[in-house]
Amino acid sequence: MGFADVAQLVLNGIMAGAILTAPAIGFTAIYAVLRFPNFAVASHMTVGAFAGYVVNADLHWPLLPSALVAFIVAGLVGVVSDAVALRPLRPAGLITATIASVALTIALENLVRLAFGNSLRDYDLPLERDWRFGGLRVGPQQLRDLAISAAAVLALFGVLGFTRMGKAMRAVADNPVLASLRGIDTQRIGHVVNFTAMGMAGLGGMLLGLDTSIDPLTGFRAILAVFAAAVLGGLGSIPGAVLGALAIGVAEELSQLALPPDYRSVVGFLAILLVLSFRPSGILGVRR
Amino acid sequence: MSHLSRRSLLGAAAASLAAPALAQTAPLRLGVLTPLTGAGSFDGPRMLKAMQGVAAEVNAAGGVLGRPIELVVEDDETNPEAAVRAAHKLVDVDRVPVIMGTWASAVTTAVAPVCWESKTFLTTVSGADSITHLPHQGYLIRTQPNNELQATSHARFIVRHGAKRVFILSTQAPFTEPTVRFLTAVLTPAGVAVAGSLIYDKDKTSYRSEVDQALRAKPDLVYLNGYAPDVAVVLRDLFRAGYDGGRFTQSYALTVKSLADLPHDVTQGVITAQPSADVDSPAYAAAAKRTGVAAPDSYEAQATDWISIVALTIARAGEASGTALRDTVRKITNSNGVKVYTAVDGLAALKQGQEIKYEGASGPCVFTDIGDITDCRFRFNQAENGVFKLLEVG
Repeated sequence: MGFADVAQLVLNGIMAGAILTAPAIGFTAIYAVLRFPNFAVASHMTVGAFAGYVVNADLHWPLLPSALVAFIVAGLVGVVSDAVALRPLRPAGLITATIASVALTIALENLVRLAFGNSLRDYDLPLERDWRFGGLRVGPQQLRDLAISAAAVLALFGVLGFTRMGKAMRAVADNPVLASLRGIDTQRIGHVVNFTAMGMAGLGGMLLGLDTSIDPLTGFRAILAVFAAAVLGGLGSIPGAVLGALAIGVAEELSQLALPPDYRSVVGFLAILLVLSFRPSGILGVRR
Repeated sequence: MSHLSRRSLLGAAAASLAAPALAQTAPLRLGVLTPLTGAGSFDGPRMLKAMQGVAAEVNAAGGVLGRPIELVVEDDETNPEAAVRAAHKLVDVDRVPVIMGTWASAVTTAVAPVCWESKTFLTTVSGADSITHLPHQGYLIRTQPNNELQATSHARFIVRHGAKRVFILSTQAPFTEPTVRFLTAVLTPAGVAVAGSLIYDKDKTSYRSEVDQALRAKPDLVYLNGYAPDVAVVLRDLFRAGYDGGRFTQSYALTVKSLADLPHDVTQGVITAQPSADVDSPAYAAAAKRTGVAAPDSYEAQATDWISIVALTIARAGEASGTALRDTVRKITNSNGVKVYTAVDGLAALKQGQEIKYEGASGPCVFTDIGDITDCRFRFNQAENGVFKLLEVG
């Protein structure tokens, strides 16, 4: 395998990682503010993918408005499902809330199955041959996915860094008691975080499906990589989630230099194992 | 409709069809366990209908050993647990000598021990190689080609159509490794290079790197040994990578449904293979006429063959028990007797004291010691502008 082949693997990895970025941010943001790993991110990816599918394939909306619908629908489902299923259980502790999130994801996934069935569905997008340059190839759709993902991440950084709401969110993440003493409505912040985080998950689910096909298991298949990205970057750290997603994407591809392709999933597990063993706070996380 | 009312209905149908002379004799009860619901619900009801057709025809001609056939029907729900419960009911309550019909490999694997433990004969369409290797003591036959027959037939097709370098892309499954082995065993001696093979992880959403690896071997045919969801993704990635060579896969991995959904550019020219009914045989023509289906598929043909073989074997043995079926079935299927193509013709020949060989609608129906068929025809289709065109049956 020559240099060009390795470069191609890295490129494939960056593209795959970029798509994981949005759901990884969602996962880590919920952890930062609500303090539990919410595995329902998986089904919200699926919900977003299907919401985008309905407006794109059935109503023939173009890509960008469809992606916005994926974000909004997944975000709203996130707020409602959290209020109904998870918030009442959060006082019972982290383990209870985590298990409830797994149950919630199975329930939502099966609701999608009930409505749409198990068959594979494709977005209404033209399929294009890849572009080639200097021995490398990249799909036009991959570049569009990368752009959408990057735009969503930058917008989120903008909100967190420069708006009152963003400051409030960071304050709650930092110290919820102090934040509420300063008059911040932590419950409202919880809703906003859920909406934004599950919206990011929904957007990621749709981006994942754009390049392939979607079915009710779309989110579930990706959740290990999303979780690994969040852990690697440091649970609770949003820049960490971006780095973690890119690192997992590239590592999964590069693993093919040493491992047969059907072992690709081992990379995610290995990353979780190594990080938790040697640096539990992750790359950019802060030890609490 | 409840099981009870369906059975009494069947009983009434059998009784009304039976000749007056049979009215007083006890019916010959045969077990049917097809998937009427679940993943197999497309095939199960049609298989049941094919068997009901043969039973009615046999009963109209005087039954088996002077007794009318009565089918006792249960639904296996394409679910091993439900299937085992239903099998116990058929064996312990209805005391049937045979259960005809399990479809999914997981269901057959669960039901087979219930059958051999109770000395009940089992006929199935499940394809996994492991099934006939179960310690079934002869109480099982399957009319579906196993892995080896399928892969060998695919390889011969590939040789005939002039491919020179084949790359095998597989999902991780029990049939993956044997398929590569059986393909290579035919391709290599015929001068077709197996340029490489790789197993991919079925849960990935993109196979770009795998496709790159396959295309580095410069194949002119890619053999896709997966299931529908992953094969759809691989086909897209092959297209994106600019690959224009041949692609070959199982019909269940590129279904009519996925062909309709995928862009035509992606599926153009893909060849699919599936076990075929023996469309030129008189048995097949008789099955088509009986079922009223213009072109019965492999499953309807196999179900036709089960009940025909079972009826003939019981008549030949003079006894309706699982052990008699086990000991006598090959005297009907593997014999050099006069060829018959329907149960009714065979029963008439047996009455005249002739030895018979049943030739089925699904194929020659010659069974090995472990219950596999020795030969089967395959149907090869090619995708053209989003529809399948028949290439050949061979």
